[in-house]
Amino acid sequence: MKIKSLGKKIAFYVGIVLVWQALDVANVWPDNVFPSPYDVAEDLWYGAVDGTLWIGIGTSLWRLAAGFALAVVGGIALGIFMARVQTVNETIGSVVLGLQSIPSVAWAPLAIIWFGLTDAGIIFVTVAGALFAVTINTYTGVKSINPDFIAAAQNMGAKGEQLITKVLIPAAFPYLITGFKQGWAFGWRGVVGAELLFSFLGLGFLLNVGRQLSDVSQVIAMMIVIMVIGIVIDGLIFKRLEDKVMARWGLR
Amino acid sequence: MAKLEAKNIVKYFEHDGQPLKALGGINFTVEDGDFVCLVGPSGCGKSTFLRIAAGLQKPDEGQILLDNRPITKTGPDRIMVFQEGALFPWLKVRDNVEFGLKIAGIPESERHEISDRYLDMMQLTKFANSYTYQLSTGMRQRVAIARALVMDPEILLMDEPFAALDAQTRDLLLVEMQMIWQKTKKTIIFVTHSISESTVLGNKVVVFTHRPSTIKKIVSIDHKRPRLAEDETLIPYQKEISLLLRPEVKAKENSE
Repeated sequence: MKIKSLGKKIAFYVGIVLVWQALDVANVWPDNVFPSPYDVAEDLWYGAVDGTLWIGIGTSLWRLAAGFALAVVGGIALGIFMARVQTVNETIGSVVLGLQSIPSVAWAPLAIIWFGLTDAGIIFVTVAGALFAVTINTYTGVKSINPDFIAAAQNMGAKGEQLITKVLIPAAFPYLITGFKQGWAFGWRGVVGAELLFSFLGLGFLLNVGRQLSDVSQVIAMMIVIMVIGIVIDGLIFKRLEDKVMARWGLR
Repeated sequence: MAKLEAKNIVKYFEHDGQPLKALGGINFTVEDGDFVCLVGPSGCGKSTFLRIAAGLQKPDEGQILLDNRPITKTGPDRIMVFQEGALFPWLKVRDNVEFGLKIAGIPESERHEISDRYLDMMQLTKFANSYTYQLSTGMRQRVAIARALVMDPEILLMDEPFAALDAQTRDLLLVEMQMIWQKTKKTIIFVTHSISESTVLGNKVVVFTHRPSTIKKIVSIDHKRPRLAEDETLIPYQKEISLLLRPEVKAKENSE
């Protein structure tokens, strides 16, 4: 079953490359607008050999990791606070909903003014992108906890920090994972978007360089890298985490 | 000796924006080592009374004394067993049982020693490393009881813990519950809607009236143990409680 589905996937991607190659051979568009798969592969190869690709990936991933980590810590704290304190929810809660609707990259001008063209600025955009998704899902998760879980834990002596770390967070964890998945995806868009504007290392920067040099194969190569990283992070980290938790809870 | 004393407990509910008097002055005393069952028409507030005794809710009037000290907040000296168990799905059976011990900061080796003893008593040893969803409802309630017993509470508060079980499993647990009580000599307050369950388990059955509830009568049952659900000698008690409850259930039906 698994092998069969893997086979389907491989066939699909091979098919895409073949169609792409055929379009290139047919010469519908000029090469400087529509590169061949070979051009793109060559671009990736050069990038890999001279190291710029790895530096770009490493820089973007470090910014993502730093921003995401801050968003997770802050989002969980804020979400729990909103769920447990009525006044906080009535005040900050309404703002959070509004803030979540702001596209991550719309934070970039503010980040540039506040932090300049620095790593901190890009990480700020990432945090702003990821934070509210984590917050809202944490809030929903804590609100959905069976009240008897909390009553039982308090009855057995849990309070304060122990109640949060040993009951509220684990009980809300299936929701937290949803928040993480949304949060990292928003964060990733934030990283690349900010790098385009900041033009300060990273994959978004390489993408922008490609545009400035009218090097369309580099543009497409970078887009493929950004997408592949997305697939890998989602599949390798978050999908596994989700499967593990669902299995443990008997939800799957 | 009085273990727990309820003194004029009054509790209001909010019902369609109107305050509704659920408990209308509950007074009774539980002696040390008593197995007390609370029965009454549904909605009479017997579970609410239990939560007040656990310190999970506050009464609007009156107070409950535990060893002559008023109850102000919840705590592990009165452990509650919930109807659905309220076991934590993210923990294995052993970790569920040890939860309160861990909160209390008891070191791991000692925790294991204690949990081993109660896992064995509740015949859960081979499920120690299972997650709760892998267990039947009956097994889950055993875990809930083990989790309560490890805390060595002054009083065990049980809120219809067998209501969701099938009849055979329940009959089995009714016998085990009596053995646990005899072995541990715990004071137990047990809420049930089943008259037969109350006569099998309780040495006192406290009959609640329809709301605003008061205590209608306390029926003492001094009978050999273990009692079985089908014991004919319990039938007179069941009849008595049934007759006491009938007008209350009627009053409840008429009020709705």
